[in-house]
Amino acid sequence: MKVKILRQQSPVTEPYWEAFLYDGPQNNTVAGLLDYLNYNDDITDINGNKTTRIGWECSCLQGMCGGCAMVINEVPALACETFLKDLRGDEISIRPLRKFPVIHDLVVDRSVIQENLMRSDIFIGDYQPSEYKDKEHQYSLAKCLKCGLCLEVCPNYVNGKTFFGALFANDCYLVSARNTAKGKDIKKIYNEHFGKHCSKSLACMDICPMKIQTIASIAKMNSYR
Amino acid sequence: MKNVLIIGSGISGLSCAIKCAELGICTTLVSPFPSERSQSVMAAGGINAVLSDNNENDSVESHIEDTLKGGCYLGGKKAVTGLCGRAEEIIGFLERIGTVFSVNRLNRPIKRAFGGQSHKRTCYCGSSTGKQIVSALVMEARKYEAAGLIKRRLWSDFHSALIRDGKCYGALLYVESSGALEAVCADAVVIATGGQNAVFGKTTGSTQCDGYTAGKLFMQGVDLKNLEFIQYHPTTLETPQKKMLVSEAVRGEGGRLFYNDKGRRVYFMEEKYGSRGNLMTRDIISREIFMADREVFLDISFLDKKLIDGRLPEVRDLCQKYRGIDISKKSIPVAPSVHFFMGGIAVHLDHETNIRDLYAVGECASMYHGANRLGGNSLLAAIYSGWVAAETIAGKESSGKTEDFSGTVEKETAALKSKMNTKSNFPVMYVRDMLAGTMCSKLGIVRNSSALDEGMRDIDYYLSVADKINYDPSVLPYFNYSLKGILTLSKAIIACAMNRTESRGAHYRSDHPESKDELCCSTIISYNNEDLRVRFDKEHEYES
Repeated sequence: MKVKILRQQSPVTEPYWEAFLYDGPQNNTVAGLLDYLNYNDDITDINGNKTTRIGWECSCLQGMCGGCAMVINEVPALACETFLKDLRGDEISIRPLRKFPVIHDLVVDRSVIQENLMRSDIFIGDYQPSEYKDKEHQYSLAKCLKCGLCLEVCPNYVNGKTFFGALFANDCYLVSARNTAKGKDIKKIYNEHFGKHCSKSLACMDICPMKIQTIASIAKMNSYR
Repeated sequence: MKNVLIIGSGISGLSCAIKCAELGICTTLVSPFPSERSQSVMAAGGINAVLSDNNENDSVESHIEDTLKGGCYLGGKKAVTGLCGRAEEIIGFLERIGTVFSVNRLNRPIKRAFGGQSHKRTCYCGSSTGKQIVSALVMEARKYEAAGLIKRRLWSDFHSALIRDGKCYGALLYVESSGALEAVCADAVVIATGGQNAVFGKTTGSTQCDGYTAGKLFMQGVDLKNLEFIQYHPTTLETPQKKMLVSEAVRGEGGRLFYNDKGRRVYFMEEKYGSRGNLMTRDIISREIFMADREVFLDISFLDKKLIDGRLPEVRDLCQKYRGIDISKKSIPVAPSVHFFMGGIAVHLDHETNIRDLYAVGECASMYHGANRLGGNSLLAAIYSGWVAAETIAGKESSGKTEDFSGTVEKETAALKSKMNTKSNFPVMYVRDMLAGTMCSKLGIVRNSSALDEGMRDIDYYLSVADKINYDPSVLPYFNYSLKGILTLSKAIIACAMNRTESRGAHYRSDHPESKDELCCSTIISYNNEDLRVRFDKEHEYES
């Protein structure tokens, strides 16, 4: 199986495609494929030329940490839960997420996610919860991996300077549900960095590995007066 | 204002940082990746606590006794008493910061049964307790980040501690973006780097937890403790990329272990240990599965599907996604796998190491779990230990003493550069793979002296080449410079296992199958110029 990977040696060098031959097990995931290429003897490209090992980020290898988010056959996904058998065609293309600066190969800098949450004061403060009824939704929201896939597919998200994306909307709701006194401030910030920009494509919900119902958070935030 | 450097940003590091901030201490949280990538998010089953409103006649004393007994009485009594005594306070804190516990109609956390416990006392969040706690702690830490009390430093890796005359002054960090080493001074350094998983290759845990920090500190004079006690979790699911944890919550909800024998299901744990057989401690169940020497299954399919969906959704999804198993219809094939390290950095009750102003918390420290950890106690200990370290640091007068480490930075930078300026690409990851092979085969569930001797010989060989090989330029420099620390830690683990000529908890020796009363004490191992010195802590020097 031919595997094409968009590589980049450092943040300041040009990206380039490099092809590899994968002859490992077919019941593998893309994460397993990357491991196989990296640690199967010397790493060589498809023509047998020696090359450098492929940089990619992983921690849990089971869809719980979000580290290995990348674009596989033009679809953003977690490598550790994308199975080779589910990919169409006999060639795979892998590239880093496009909306974040590349550090090395498939490793990108997603620190803008945390920075935006911090600079907009997305924390509870005094715990004054309002609704116990939607525990299930809150449980689901707290499972957000901050992997960035929702931002990658969002037609409105560019670079996180003004519009902060679905994960931001969800965290806004988590805070307003737990500190009713802060609700007004959060609503204002939510409108500024999410509400007035979101065109409701809801691609974020289709892509989310944790199946978070962002539309429910949007509805709750919009209904807040 | 005091300034504390915390290495690691999982649950123990975050808890320490938040407690420091509450006490007015400024901290810097160092990690290559954000907290969402930490191993803590993988903790599944729950967190143990005796709550005042429990209706099970449970008591803190009972929690203490279960913990000590589960650990074969190697966990220090004073330490365990402190841990269990503040469990309710910890649950209250977690609720206040918004952790989404599974609750009853009165909005109080409900509890499930866990192995080795006399009462139902494991509070939980579905089967993703660790993730829910991390999300809440991250949000709480953000409050202090906004106030400037917590600073985060990503893409930085621990290199070594700055130690002089028995006192720690800070740490040397490798900065990935610049490729430079940077000395960061602090009034205290807290190590919160998790377990030693990667020494065994791919375990149930994170690939990021490789034990390097413990290994390097060991080489710098920090004592390690009880390294031979490695927990094999009895129920993990084999997949092409790793063994994945099937949470103890499944057995807590009634799951039954069995194997097939001539067309008959043999519920071997129940046959041998009675109705609570499936909830024996993890060391016992892992050993029984190993002895069964055939494929073992865990059945929860008899449980109402709604309960499975409500209480075990993550286990359901994992089995479906990676093995196509619908747990509401089929049994799960399970096998034991390396999961948790009871041993680690030796710390006193206040979580300070034998080096002044150097602390260790969470899984990288050894304190509460003795020879075997009870499920539900690791999350508790991670938070508690972070608090204890923070409170100790707050209560101490800062010496204000500084030292000049520019010579150390120059020396270590030159050493790093001389290794990196090579065209050779000896694959350091091969050595890591070989090491994992050695550790898994020689330090299994059942050990003996000849296997341990072979393991020691293997590691001595890897160590003999570690200094001679040049760095592999195609992986991060961290993987290169961490190799010797990881190998040295592995050697220390085997030395501890060789020294304990008895069986106790997770350490089972087929050549010494009995427990010996005189060895009911912790192992301490020290390093001096490549010599390892192992001793039993009969005077309980780390119990104070």
